[in-house]
Amino acid sequence: MNSGTGIYFDGVTSVRREAVVELTPAALKISGPNGHLWGEWPYNEIEELAAPDSMLRLGRRGSPTLERLEIRDPAFAKEIDVLAIHVDRTGLLQRRQRMRVIGWTFAATASLVLVGWFGLPAIAARLATVLPASVERKLGDAVDIQVRGMLDTGKGGAPFECGTAAAETAGRAALDKLMRRLEAAATLPIPLRTSVARRDEANAIALPGGHIYVFRGLIDKADNADQIAGAIAHEIGHVANRDGTKAILEGAGLSFLFGMLLGDFIGGGAVVLAAKNVLQSSYSREAEAAADTYGTELMNKAGGDGRALAVILEKTGGATEPGMKILMDHPETKARITSINRLAAARPSVPFLEAGEWAALKQICAGS
Amino acid sequence: MRPGHGSKTPALNDICLHPGEPLFLQTMASFDASGIATSGGVRFLGQRQSYWRLLIRGAALLMVTLGIYRFWLVTDIRRFLWSNTEIAGEALEYSGTALELLLGFLIAIALLIPIYTAFFLAALDLALLGQLSGLIAFAALAVLGQYAIYRARRYRLTRTVYRGLRFHQKGSAWAYAFRAVAWWIVTVVTFGLAYPFQLASLERYKMKNTFYGDLAGRFEASGFVLLLRGLPMWLLFFAPLALAVRDFVGLDWQALLDALAQGGDDVMGKIEGGNPGLGSVVVFAMLMAGISITLGALLYPAFQTLILRWWSSGLRFDDLQVRSRLLMRHVYGAYARFVGYAGLFAVAMTIAGTAALLLTDALAGSDASGQIATTLVLLIGYVITVLGISTIYRATVLFSLWQLGMESLQLSGVSALEKVKASGRPSSAFGEGLADALNVGSY
Repeated sequence: MNSGTGIYFDGVTSVRREAVVELTPAALKISGPNGHLWGEWPYNEIEELAAPDSMLRLGRRGSPTLERLEIRDPAFAKEIDVLAIHVDRTGLLQRRQRMRVIGWTFAATASLVLVGWFGLPAIAARLATVLPASVERKLGDAVDIQVRGMLDTGKGGAPFECGTAAAETAGRAALDKLMRRLEAAATLPIPLRTSVARRDEANAIALPGGHIYVFRGLIDKADNADQIAGAIAHEIGHVANRDGTKAILEGAGLSFLFGMLLGDFIGGGAVVLAAKNVLQSSYSREAEAAADTYGTELMNKAGGDGRALAVILEKTGGATEPGMKILMDHPETKARITSINRLAAARPSVPFLEAGEWAALKQICAGS
Repeated sequence: MRPGHGSKTPALNDICLHPGEPLFLQTMASFDASGIATSGGVRFLGQRQSYWRLLIRGAALLMVTLGIYRFWLVTDIRRFLWSNTEIAGEALEYSGTALELLLGFLIAIALLIPIYTAFFLAALDLALLGQLSGLIAFAALAVLGQYAIYRARRYRLTRTVYRGLRFHQKGSAWAYAFRAVAWWIVTVVTFGLAYPFQLASLERYKMKNTFYGDLAGRFEASGFVLLLRGLPMWLLFFAPLALAVRDFVGLDWQALLDALAQGGDDVMGKIEGGNPGLGSVVVFAMLMAGISITLGALLYPAFQTLILRWWSSGLRFDDLQVRSRLLMRHVYGAYARFVGYAGLFAVAMTIAGTAALLLTDALAGSDASGQIATTLVLLIGYVITVLGISTIYRATVLFSLWQLGMESLQLSGVSALEKVKASGRPSSAFGEGLADALNVGSY
């Protein structure tokens, strides 16, 4: 059978034409019932187009119009399939193409996950170190507003920061003395701002730009000033390593990568959040270890007791209070304690505060 | 592909012709209108089974490719739906490709990166700019989202071929975007009473700029008619809420505010003292809200039917007229199927999820790696659940709406379609990419 019938649309008007289709050795010929030639399509220019199962729909590659030929006779469609290179009714060609697509999307997925795991932290680390101090400061101020919004419950009407009321100034002076010694040893390019926050958790946090919050709960738990100094030295490590800035940049990068680039394909930001948690907890583990090292060395340098950080960590690291774990984010406490004790200098140390000053620091949140 | 709000809880938008609108409905009607035969036949030939297969395979691939596969899945879905829709004996053709969509998406991303960076930097500013940056970003993205919706519609229309001619769309996407955002504000302010007029106005704009070849479309349904038909539903939905609000108005607000301002440990006690009836008012309000939400969910398919029928019947292409005879009970049937399948799936997922968590707990322990493993299990469980529900929704509700919507159409004046000349050029997929990146896309 060298010829059959089909429906032809010339792509110029919407007129439906009954056509005679002839399969010559070089091309497929489409002509009208009166023998008038409508089209002559070389077999390598014929393409198969989306159509219902009952029909073979053909178009011509590179044609300026959308001319279409529809073949409904399965046997005749098969003959055309054999002759036209780009037509494949068995779906083999399409399946092969689809497999290639799947292969490439797998590769793309793998590469994006690698970027998320290795690339983003590296980029964030580079960026954080070249970011001017003024920008980091601004970033810190913006974060400060957020942090205060979360932590400052305004309970009891006392200000969020301790050390302002008359009964608290002696404690504030003690803290300032402690900070002077730490800052002198640290020699950071940016000034630090340290405040005690009216919170019950035993924790401390460092914001980008050098703002450190020590929670009242930590001071309540500590046995001596060196333990507080150790915790602050750890936070100074975060400031020196610019961990806060890195975390923000990483967070922004991850949101972008998983949120927008990959598409919010199931309509929920929860996946993005969860993925961020998994990735960021791995980032922060390394950051904590580095801050421990920095903090211990800073304590050594300042002539304090390097082991004090390990002691306060042991006292608090078990994350006893509910909700503290979220803030602390300090996993694998035992391993950390061991490595701090290894680094700590064995020589005798000079306490950071006199007994009286330490007693005053304990009362830094007493007023209100 | 984007279940968007549609996947879990088919949001109000999802059926109407707006931001979250399934643009397919709207595009679809543009085609229905092009139906031929004097008998006015529109048929849908697609097998539900094939559609299920396509969707399930797609969902699996979406999951392992973190969503990158969506460009191919959307293209497959559209090819299936278009190809199987036969108007007057001639099937539609979708001629778009996944690569076009991917490219459009990448271009959109390239445009959005500087915009997002600017918002990020502006948010750091502590002055007025920083305070307002959230609001500005929201407004800008709302307009951009509507812009994207209009451009995406243009892409879909120019990739729709019928009888060897393509559709196309003129008009300004910016003009549409500002008009749409303005209407949304009015609709929100009027508690939805302006919604019928919003639909009618926006649809008029879309359809008067829609062409099949050189045949111009228009939209003739009246917003007022829709308002009258929808008013009973609106009243049923808002009456319980109004009752609750009335009781709130009756409270002693001065005492309440004083108690809140004083704060202290015994806030609740003070509030109670000033307004002894507050407890029962709150309980009543919650009850009324519950009734309102339940009524809303129960009426939703009826609302959807109403809008779809009203809207299809307003479509015109020159002399060609469309009339929809969509039956409400069929739409309810589609939702019943969805609820049934989704319920079964949820039960299966609960059992599988519990087993997986117990297994993880037993194997990984409670240290840090155990926590990560648990998080991963939860994450994967969440993804499978949401993808599964979204797939079921597509295969039941959306499939049925397409099928029923198409088959309920009656066309008259179809001879208008016999002498159409080719016109219009294919547009880029930038709008689709932008809609995708902004999460306002659909298929």
